[in-house]
Amino acid sequence: MLIKSLPTEWDIEITQAANGLEALEGYRAGKAEIMFLDLTMPELDGYGVLEQLQKEGLNTFVIVVSADIQPIAQERVRKLGAVAFCKKPVNPQEIQAILKQYGIVL
Amino acid sequence: MSAPALLSQDQTDALQEVTNIAMGQAGSSLANILGVFVNLSVPRIRVLDVVAIGAAISDMVGPDKEITAARQSFHGTMRGEALVIYDQEGCMDLADLMGYEEQLEASAERELILDVSNVLVGACLGGIADLLEATLTYSAPSIMAERIPVDRLIDPKKMTWNYALLVEVNFTLEERNFTSHLTFLMPEESIQSMGEAIDKFMESF
Repeated sequence: MLIKSLPTEWDIEITQAANGLEALEGYRAGKAEIMFLDLTMPELDGYGVLEQLQKEGLNTFVIVVSADIQPIAQERVRKLGAVAFCKKPVNPQEIQAILKQYGIVL
Repeated sequence: MSAPALLSQDQTDALQEVTNIAMGQAGSSLANILGVFVNLSVPRIRVLDVVAIGAAISDMVGPDKEITAARQSFHGTMRGEALVIYDQEGCMDLADLMGYEEQLEASAERELILDVSNVLVGACLGGIADLLEATLTYSAPSIMAERIPVDRLIDPKKMTWNYALLVEVNFTLEERNFTSHLTFLMPEESIQSMGEAIDKFMESF
């Protein structure tokens, strides 16, 4: 759903991860300039991924995309270094606005 | 005996994502009622032979747990039963969280469980229905079982369906024992309607 809502004209390579551990593997392999991160995931959840990313230098823009709409969830991920929080289901305009705000042009 | 593939892998993945979104809304409603942060699980979606449902629910709650459960049936584009299962420790925690200082009388505890169950079912199932553009009506919730071992909750002999779609969502609270398990059971023909609604939903992207 997320991938389909990204603009088709973007020239990007997408790596998908089925869980938090796979996301970290992708990050370590240098495949995550931008990471769209879910919070509820098997193996390692989104909070766990953010904590580990911080230990490893957080060399990526993390945009959390989650159905968890509790304000505390948003607060927590921002403290853990996520640049933005999008509620599911995402809309493409919102994601484009966030990327523009951070000067990321694709 | 394994259940036939009434939903494809793609449909199951899409339903998991839809359930995840709806669960977020339900979790947020629960957080508002209880005034605490609610941890959400990854929703689990399975089509099961009805004889396997009791065991699946025991696995989910934890074997040998004593539970109280509420049920609410729904009709419309899909029909089925929503069950909200609380382990007994969680029920006591619920009263405490809601600000009751003393042990609740049975009738007050029941009412509290029905209210919370109704909110969870309405938000979660309502969220799924909204996303899938399905129309659902709900019956009033009722207490299905009180303080019974979890393995006695479902009597397969009383189930008239052959297969059921089991959707499981768990809500837990930080630093509390409270856990509630929300499950939806739907018969074959509703699984098919669900599949069709999911296909339409996927085409809309």
